Amino acid sequence: MHLYRQSIILFGIVIPVAIAVGVLSIFFMIKSNMVESFDHKLKSYKTYCTAQNAGWEIEAGVNRQRKHIDRWNQQLSQETASAVTTSLREISDHLPSKELQQTAFERPGGKGGFGSISAQNSSQIRIAFRGTFRTIQRAFLELETRMPRLQLQDLKIDPSTSQSSLLNFQVTYTAWEN
Amino acid sequence: MLRYTTRATNPAWYQDALELEFQLHIRADGASITTFYHDGKKEQWATGPTLSDEILKDPAKLESFIAEALRYARSNGAKSLGVILHIADEFATTELKPELNNPAALGDIKEAAILNPISILEDSTIIAEQASWRVIPYPAAGSLVIGSTITLSKQYEPLIAALHQTGEKENFPIISHALSAPLVAMMALSHSLTPTPDKPFVAILQYPWFTVLAFFNEHADLRLIRTLQNRGLNRPTGFINALTTTKASLEFIDPDIFIMRLGENVDATLDEDLRSHFNKCRVEIVEQNSIQGIPAWCPEPAISSPSSAVPVATILSHTFAILNDEKWALQNFLPISKDVVEIYPTRSEMRLLKMLRLARVAVFSIAFLCITYFCFGMVDLISRPEWSFQPSQADATQARLSKLTVERQRADHWNNLLEDRSKAWTSMESLARMFPENSGMLVKTYSHAAKPDTTQGNARIGFVKEWKITGYARDEALDYLNTINTKEGISAHFSEIATVTGNNSYRTNLGNRNIVVNIRTQENGSYKYVSPDEASNADESTYPFTFDLTITQRFEATDPMAINVSKNP
Repeated sequence: MHLYRQSIILFGIVIPVAIAVGVLSIFFMIKSNMVESFDHKLKSYKTYCTAQNAGWEIEAGVNRQRKHIDRWNQQLSQETASAVTTSLREISDHLPSKELQQTAFERPGGKGGFGSISAQNSSQIRIAFRGTFRTIQRAFLELETRMPRLQLQDLKIDPSTSQSSLLNFQVTYTAWEN
Repeated sequence: MLRYTTRATNPAWYQDALELEFQLHIRADGASITTFYHDGKKEQWATGPTLSDEILKDPAKLESFIAEALRYARSNGAKSLGVILHIADEFATTELKPELNNPAALGDIKEAAILNPISILEDSTIIAEQASWRVIPYPAAGSLVIGSTITLSKQYEPLIAALHQTGEKENFPIISHALSAPLVAMMALSHSLTPTPDKPFVAILQYPWFTVLAFFNEHADLRLIRTLQNRGLNRPTGFINALTTTKASLEFIDPDIFIMRLGENVDATLDEDLRSHFNKCRVEIVEQNSIQGIPAWCPEPAISSPSSAVPVATILSHTFAILNDEKWALQNFLPISKDVVEIYPTRSEMRLLKMLRLARVAVFSIAFLCITYFCFGMVDLISRPEWSFQPSQADATQARLSKLTVERQRADHWNNLLEDRSKAWTSMESLARMFPENSGMLVKTYSHAAKPDTTQGNARIGFVKEWKITGYARDEALDYLNTINTKEGISAHFSEIATVTGNNSYRTNLGNRNIVVNIRTQENGSYKYVSPDEASNADESTYPFTFDLTITQRFEATDPMAINVSKNP
């Protein structure tokens, strides 16, 4: 009696629902793909923002230090022994010569002091002086200020046997090199 | 389907014509065809369009007749038209098979009369397609048969088909129902006559072309229906004899005789003749209640139509109860064929169709809302700055960051290596301030060494600075040396040096570092007493004590000044 019931149900609800579900599925897939793509872009964007902020911060810090770094690089590019010699000559020029007498200059081979445990290149410089306490201290002050790459390895002070007013100084530096 | 038909919205398509509010009654009694409109809402009767045999036989004229009826119905605000055909020009009975004489099987027999009449009829020569049969029961106790069948030809089938086709064409429900007029008239007997109690009675229904005799027992239950054709006369030939013999065969003694005149020009002398022949019988003419718009001789339209004014029944019997309640008298003799009916969906299918349309609207609405939601979501995504962001920008920034990071690491590396962790001039300043002039102390030897910690495997390595100082001391310097020999004393000295020189390696309260001091004093073996005024500061023999001072400062690997092990990046 109900000849059309099956057709009505099929065309009336089953096929429309299938079409609706199909269309929704397509939109859902498109949306899902877009969300996935957006998440990827969002991740990249956040990385970009973080990197940009970090970059600005680092750049500001680096810029503040740049002039020092340039100076260090310029100094480190010089050969250690000649740089020390040059600096000592310039220092001794404005200090009393009787109170500052360089008695030895050596370049021990191999690494020593702090350089022995660091992968950074380094060399050793050993210098001996005879002079008064304060003048020699001033010379060290100037030398170490001009050449911050010098790290004191050891220092010995003894009274001079020939001149009672003078002292003997023997100093060994570790010099960092590029 | 819903768009092209009103079947889903107009329930009249699936109702019976007798239930519809607006009806057209057609009564054909052979002598004439009369039509009446009945507006059930207003309970008004009006004369219908003219209909004749000529119109019935001419399809074009018949179409005009139906169009006029439709126009009238629409002009009266009707949403459907029920056409009730009262067939009063023929009436015949056919006997049932004797083996079907079982009152309990009446329902099945009634159905078989419609679907397979041959199976129930006594006369096996009948051709089913030629006529229409409907069962009428004989409920009276003692009846020899359970009923009979009323037979009508299908002469009005073209009219019914035309009505149906016009209804479909106009998308307007025209529902037809063909009644046997004598059966309808018989229904009215229950409230239009009052038989003598405990007496049987005979109802004589006078139609122009035939006369029907209905015999009721003393309980007013139908026992027999007979019909006699008038054959062009006013009354059937031998009518009195037929009545007499039937009355006698049913053993009715002096029954009441009621005559219903159901034609405009039927024999008006019948009652007088019956009175003269059956002088012991009560013979009466049944007077019909007059209804405005309908002549008294054609009461069937008014009987078959629903009315708010239900007349009071004067006869209470099983026969009249089932004629009314079970609608035995209102059977449709010319229904639409099953093949035509099945072209269109059933009412439940139309309801399903309508319901599914709503469901479909709901589904598509939900789908539309979801799609709109998706679209808004997509537009929202596209409008964000992150969407237009190109990953290559991140790569460039990342590369720039890497470059800056390397540059910073280099700066940090050199910052670490060039830290003022071990300087000669600060050590000398420490020595000078620890042993000031005229302090009663004479330094003999001084050595200082800075060595890295030997622990391997760390990114940063700690280191140790050691000072060894030997010398001479007088009595007044011993307290000072003892002070230096304490943690507080040496820390205070280192803090002073840190403040004076600005060198953080002397700070004892910074990072992770510690300091240990040890002074050993003993008598000077070469000491020679000299008065203080005469004692020379440079003369070692004037100092009663010697001392041996060792200071060890340890920087752990976690100290900020610890040394980077790696090379410049």
